Formats: sequence, C-alpha cells, structure tokens
Amino acid sequence: MMSSKIGLACIIDDDSMYVNLIKKIIEAKSLCQNLMVFKNGEEALNYFEVILSNLDKKSIPEIIFLDINMPVMDGWEFLEGFTKIKNKLGKTITLYIVSSSINPVDIERAKSINSVKDYLIKPVTIEDLESIFLNQPA
Amino acid sequence: MLQNELFDNVVRDFNTGYWELYKNPNKEVWSQKFYESIGYSNKELEPSIDYFLEHLIHKEDVAVFRDNFLNYKKNDVNFKQHIKILTKEGSYKLFRCTTNDELPVNIKSEVNLLFFFEIKLEPEQAITKDNFYYKETAQMTATGSWYVDFAKRKSYWDFETRRILEYPDDYIPSLKDSANYYAKDCQQQAADCFFNCAMAGTPFNTEIKMVTANDRVFWVRAIGKPVYNDNKEIIGIRGVFQDIDDIKKKELRLQRSIDIIASQNSRLFNFAHIVSHNLRSHTSNLSLLVQLIEDIDNPEEKIELVNEVKQISHSLNTTIEHLNEIVAIHTNKDQEKKVIKFQDALNLVMNGIGQTIALSKTQIEADFTGLEEIDYIPAYLESILLNLITNAIKYKHKDKDPVIQIKTYIKESNKYLKVSDNGRGIDMKLFKDKVFGMYKTFHYNKDAVGIGLFLTKNQVESLNGTISVESDVDQGTTFIIEF
Repeated sequence: MMSSKIGLACIIDDDSMYVNLIKKIIEAKSLCQNLMVFKNGEEALNYFEVILSNLDKKSIPEIIFLDINMPVMDGWEFLEGFTKIKNKLGKTITLYIVSSSINPVDIERAKSINSVKDYLIKPVTIEDLESIFLNQPA
Repeated sequence: MLQNELFDNVVRDFNTGYWELYKNPNKEVWSQKFYESIGYSNKELEPSIDYFLEHLIHKEDVAVFRDNFLNYKKNDVNFKQHIKILTKEGSYKLFRCTTNDELPVNIKSEVNLLFFFEIKLEPEQAITKDNFYYKETAQMTATGSWYVDFAKRKSYWDFETRRILEYPDDYIPSLKDSANYYAKDCQQQAADCFFNCAMAGTPFNTEIKMVTANDRVFWVRAIGKPVYNDNKEIIGIRGVFQDIDDIKKKELRLQRSIDIIASQNSRLFNFAHIVSHNLRSHTSNLSLLVQLIEDIDNPEEKIELVNEVKQISHSLNTTIEHLNEIVAIHTNKDQEKKVIKFQDALNLVMNGIGQTIALSKTQIEADFTGLEEIDYIPAYLESILLNLITNAIKYKHKDKDPVIQIKTYIKESNKYLKVSDNGRGIDMKLFKDKVFGMYKTFHYNKDAVGIGLFLTKNQVESLNGTISVESDVDQGTTFIIEF
C-alpha cells in the first residue's frame, strides 16, 4: 500500500452514488487521509467562508473535485464565489471539474477559468484518480 | 468623292427622307425615301419649296416652317420643327424636321440638308398610350400614386390609391386626418416617415399597415420622396402605395412557422442533452462500480459492491421513466382537446392530494369567474394544476401555512391562468434561467426531484402556450400560464 501524501480532499457533488463509489476507491487505494463531501456549491462555499474567518490550514483541502450540475448552487456559481476567496486561504488548492456533461461549451468554459486545473468527464477511472492524487504537489 | 460616299452611307443608314438644299442654282433635291414616306414616287411631284408650302405642308405649320427654311438656307441657322405633311392617300403624317446638326459631327456635307423623321404616333395618342400602360401597371401591381402639396395643403390620390384603400373614385383625401389612413400601431411610423421626408428630404421605403374605408387593415409598401422647386426647397412629397397584403401575410406566416420550428428544434436539442446527461451519470457510476469490483480482491467486499448495482439500476429506471413522460407529452399533444371547467379539474387534483393539502394546512383560494372553462387536453390541465400546487406546498414558507391563489382571466383576448403562493420564493437573480430546467431544484429538499416544472413547461408549450414566473424570496412565487 502506498502511503498518501494528501491530507484532505473535497468532493462537491449531488450524486450520492458517485460520491460513495469515489469514497470506496479512495479508501481502498488509501489515496488520502480525509475526505469531505458537499451536496452542492452553496454548502461548500459556506464552508470555505467560515474557514476564512478561522484560518485552520488543516481544514483546507488540497484537492477539490467539483461537479457542474447541482441543485441550489451549481459548479459555475461555486467557482465564482470560490475564485474571490481562494487567494485569502493561504494554501494552494487544486480544483478539478468532474462532470458527465460532454457539452463542448462547458468544457471550454471550464478551461478558461484559472482556478480550474482540468476538466474530467465522468466516468473517471481508478487510474485517473490514482495519478491525480499521487502527482499532487505536497 | 470619298466624302460623298461616306455621307451617302450615313444618310442611307438614317433611313429617313431628306432634302438637299442648293443655292446655285437655287433648288431642292428630295430623296427617294422622302417621296416614299408620303406615298408618292419621284415622278409624281414637283420638288420645290413653293409646291411644298402650297400643297403638302399643313396650313398650321406653313408660316413657321417658311421662316425656318429660309433662315436655314440663307443664313445656315439650324432648326427643329414638328410639321404635318399631306400624304397621297389624303391624310396628314407627323414629321420631326431637323437640319444638319443632327448628323454625326465628323461628316461634313457640302450642302445643307433637311431631314424628315416620321413620328409614328401623334403626340396626344402617345400620351393616351402611355396613360394606358401606366394604368395597366398600376392595376396589375396594385400600386397607387399620391402627391402631397405643401403649398396648397392638399393631398392627391390617383385612381389606384383610391381603389386599394377602398374609397370611391370621387373621394378627396384629407391631409388633416391623414394619420387615420394608417393602422393605430403604425401611425407613429407613418408620421416619422413623412416628417423626415418633409423636413430633411429623406426618402422612405417601408412596409406599413393601412386602413381602408371599410376599416380593413392591410399591408402596404409605402415609398415616398421629396419634391423640390427651383430654389431647392421641399414643396411636397410624391410616392406610391403598393398593396402587399398577400405577400406580407405569407411572409408573416412563414416567419411564424420558422419560429415554431426553431423552438421545436431547440426543445429537441435540449431533450437530447438531457437524455445524454441523465443517462451518462448512471452509466458512469456503473462503469466506476465495475472498475471497483474488478480492482478489489476481497470476495465479501465484492458481493457488497454488487448490491450497489441494484441501486444504480433503480436510478436508471427512474430516469428513463422521467424521459418517457417527456416524450409522452409530445406524442400526446394530438390527444383530443375538450372543454374543461377549471373548477372540475381543480376538484380532481384536490381529491388526489387531499391528504397532503390537509396535513400541510394549505388553503386554496380559487377564482375562475374571469374564465370558467377552456378547450384543452384534460390530463395536461390537471397535471399543470397538480404540479403548481404541489410545488407551492413543497416549498412553503417555514413560518407560514401555505395559501395558494388560483385565478383565471382574459386579457387582450388571450387566456391566462395565474397561480400564486406565499412560499419561500425563488431567488430570481440566481435562478431565472433554471426554474423550468430538468432536475433543477433550488432548495435542499429531500423530495425535490426537479421534474415537475420541466414537465409543466413542456405541456404548456406543446399546446403553443407560454409559462412565466415571478418570485421574491420569502414573499412567494407566481406562475402565469398563457394558453
């Protein structure tokens, strides 16, 4: 078993089945020590805003996997809010969009946003996840 | 000699009769063609100016022609004159009589020449003929002419303008009430065109609705341009009205068809996206699950994962059921419409969800006095009411019992249904474009599936209606359906 370099990863996705499966893969492969899950952009953004007033670097994830189509607040709106505060968090956060949308408009839009490292189309593979976690700069 | 040859050729090409005028000895030579044009041979007439003046030229033309002729012969003063000459058969023919200066300049004749160009029609006849063509054109193209005279403060219409506007032939158009010749919603447009033309000299060419004497509104192409006097001042506007009602109505019908096709296309495209997206989320979970099963060695864990397949299969079924419902809307829209009383449809819905209404202490206030019934697909009307009511209950305000107001009315001959609630509302700034999207929910509710409003919108639109929403957070939401 490889030991994980990543302390905390974050999934923002409303598809509980997908979240469960990713959780299982991360556990089975020991890809990170802790995982937090938000069901939509609003929950996640609220969390980051709270963190901002109470800077605790351990509570800031190194990686975020963000879905686009979610209720209440979708991925785009989350990104808008997140981009405004991410520099104040004092930690490099790598953000991947993970969506089942193959709409080229979505892909282009994602790639034009600085905070987005890459756009992954569901289904992701176990290999993809492993390489993302293992190549993540500490 | 060469010069003569050239000259002969040119004169022959002119294909017209002429005289050669000689001074010494004093005589005229009449060309063959000249004799022919008045029906004589050269043997039958004495080619002299005296004979011509006395016997051939019309009395009215004698004096002027004699002066012109002599001045030309003696002093080389060129002239042009219309004269009538008697033919052998006893009738007069009209000629345009002209001198050397009508010749191409590089040909110099040694003698003075006088040409007689035959004019086929008498001037009055020509005008009558032109007038005939003008009338034909006007009638066949339904194009009437008009003129507005600023000095006399009058407008003039030709027969065709009166005809297309259905006024009698002796009708005198009114300048003062000219706005009334245009449809109400086009009067501003007409005023702008005429004002700009009168003040700035801007010509116009526009499509506009006019009103006939019989109050029939029809489409016209109106073209107008300014008329100037010698001082370059605008003294009037001249133009035409062309009846383009048929073609314009076809164009509008075509545009409507295009709009319908475009909206159907966009719905289809949207649907394809929805199908692709919604199915993909399940298939990608399935694929992830399979990877995981293959990757894990522990048989117990594997079996546990196999159970997850059941869950995915169930979600997949639900999604496909939802998609079926949408497809059904578009195939069902040819179902028979019936005249339904709103109250009956509402009663059915309220019986169906009586328990939900009672449990949530929902109060429903319905007022169908403005419009009691409608010709609609009964299942759709019930589904629309059901979705809007359950929606209002589902998203009720946390501190208030739901009150739902349902009202029908007619505005500008369109039929409306309005459903308002006092619920928690939707933040329109954030969700304006998404209210009617599939699987869009705005509140984190466990039973929010985000399909109801999407179905409602599809049902309304499949019968060519529209649905709109207004909402304020904490105040409530209002849906308005135009049937």
